Amino acid sequence: MKKIQQRIRPWLINNFALPSDVVLELPRITLIGQIHAYIENHKGLIVFTDKELKLRTTKGYVQITGSSFVLKTMLPEEILLEGTINDVRFIPD
Amino acid sequence: MKHVQGSYLTGYVTILVKGNRPELFFQDCSNQGVQVWNVQKVSPEQCKGNVLLRDIKRIKKIKRKRNYKISFINKKGYPFIIKRIFRKREIVAATIISILLILFLSNILWKVEIAGVPKDIEEKIDKQLKSYGIHPGAWLFTLDKPGVIQQKLAEDIPELLWVGVNKKGTTFYLEGVEKIVVNEEEVVGPRHLVATKKGVIKDMYVSKGLPKVAVNDYVEPGDILVSGVLNETEDTTTEGKDSKKKKAKPIVVAAEGEIIANTWYEISVTVPLEANYEHLTGNHEKKYYVGFGDFQLPIWGFGSPDYEHIHRENIDNNIKFFKWELPVKIIETTLSEKTYQELERTKEEAIQTGIKQAKQELQLQIGPEATIVSEKVLQQSTENGKVKLDLYINVEEDIVKAQPINQGD
Repeated sequence: MKKIQQRIRPWLINNFALPSDVVLELPRITLIGQIHAYIENHKGLIVFTDKELKLRTTKGYVQITGSSFVLKTMLPEEILLEGTINDVRFIPD
Repeated sequence: MKHVQGSYLTGYVTILVKGNRPELFFQDCSNQGVQVWNVQKVSPEQCKGNVLLRDIKRIKKIKRKRNYKISFINKKGYPFIIKRIFRKREIVAATIISILLILFLSNILWKVEIAGVPKDIEEKIDKQLKSYGIHPGAWLFTLDKPGVIQQKLAEDIPELLWVGVNKKGTTFYLEGVEKIVVNEEEVVGPRHLVATKKGVIKDMYVSKGLPKVAVNDYVEPGDILVSGVLNETEDTTTEGKDSKKKKAKPIVVAAEGEIIANTWYEISVTVPLEANYEHLTGNHEKKYYVGFGDFQLPIWGFGSPDYEHIHRENIDNNIKFFKWELPVKIIETTLSEKTYQELERTKEEAIQTGIKQAKQELQLQIGPEATIVSEKVLQQSTENGKVKLDLYINVEEDIVKAQPINQGD
């Protein structure tokens, strides 16, 4: 059953032009230069310091590192991060 | 960042969370729908962030289940500012008292200035004003309108010819003109007496001058009645170098006298056969309201009198703040009982009232010295419940007017 779903979803994206982040429940990360990162569709905050932000996603984690981080907004599934971003890394499970 | 807007109005606090992985506390908050913003990690065990004032209860609820310590480190927004102001009761009290004081002082008469009249009359005016209740320290809205005061003053102080009353803020400016009893400006030089109206001479009293008319003569306006030239000769009409050389120089005097003539007036009046009168019985009650726009709040005089018909009279007095008039006003309403009276007249009565009315009107026109001798109804017609009368009225009056003799100088 799960396998069918996994196969249907990419097919839906390709043939119906549905946004991939919604259909695949993947995080959408919007970066504005180095200063802002807007992460939607995350599954929870794991680590937050002024140098690191780690978020859980459906398949693994997203780790953002940099300096002087401030969470400008926190909504259940959205986070707006402000600071100096050095790198964004995906860490699989 | 929509939610951050307006947070200053509702107020927000910065909380400092202490404990193991404090950022997770904020994550919990946002999962519960509590708005959180500006989250910062201060140290590995401490994390601070902003929440709305109204969410504090929910935050405390969330805290209960977890092992975190929360302290409020900063309070911002109007609710806190207002609270801070109200905590200082002296300031609040002082503000209220000072506003009341200004209100109180702006509605008090401070000064009565009288100008343009001598001291003795000034004192008289002052006394009279005091009897009306106008003196420094009186409430402005209890006083009459300047126009009314003006009228009253002019009536009560006979020495005043005219008085102007002006209210400027909290000051009454009075400007008076003293009545200087001057004998009517007579033509002092040589003069004739001429007729002002057409009429038949009835009586003549000439104390100076040469009468030119006799009793029972008919005169037209402008006719010379009494001449000021005593030795009038026929050829004085041609003036020039010849007249100067004449030995008989005309002797001119100021003619004086009283010529009573019979004059007549035609007057038409209409008198309705039926008339409705409103009559005030003299019973009245006063009520006071505080008005704000259309809204009126009674402050004195409750309940309405059991009059059948009520005549209402409203006097509005605006309350002032410095020089500005506030939209608040004090309304004084006088409810007077009135009765309606219907009057029906017969034609005969209507004619009588018509004649009476016409006589009164005429007497006002021609002055009190004239006497109405007789009247006659020339024409009468009844139309639409009204009687129309054309009257012929005979009057005896003085028709003299002085006219200076032009000596050609």
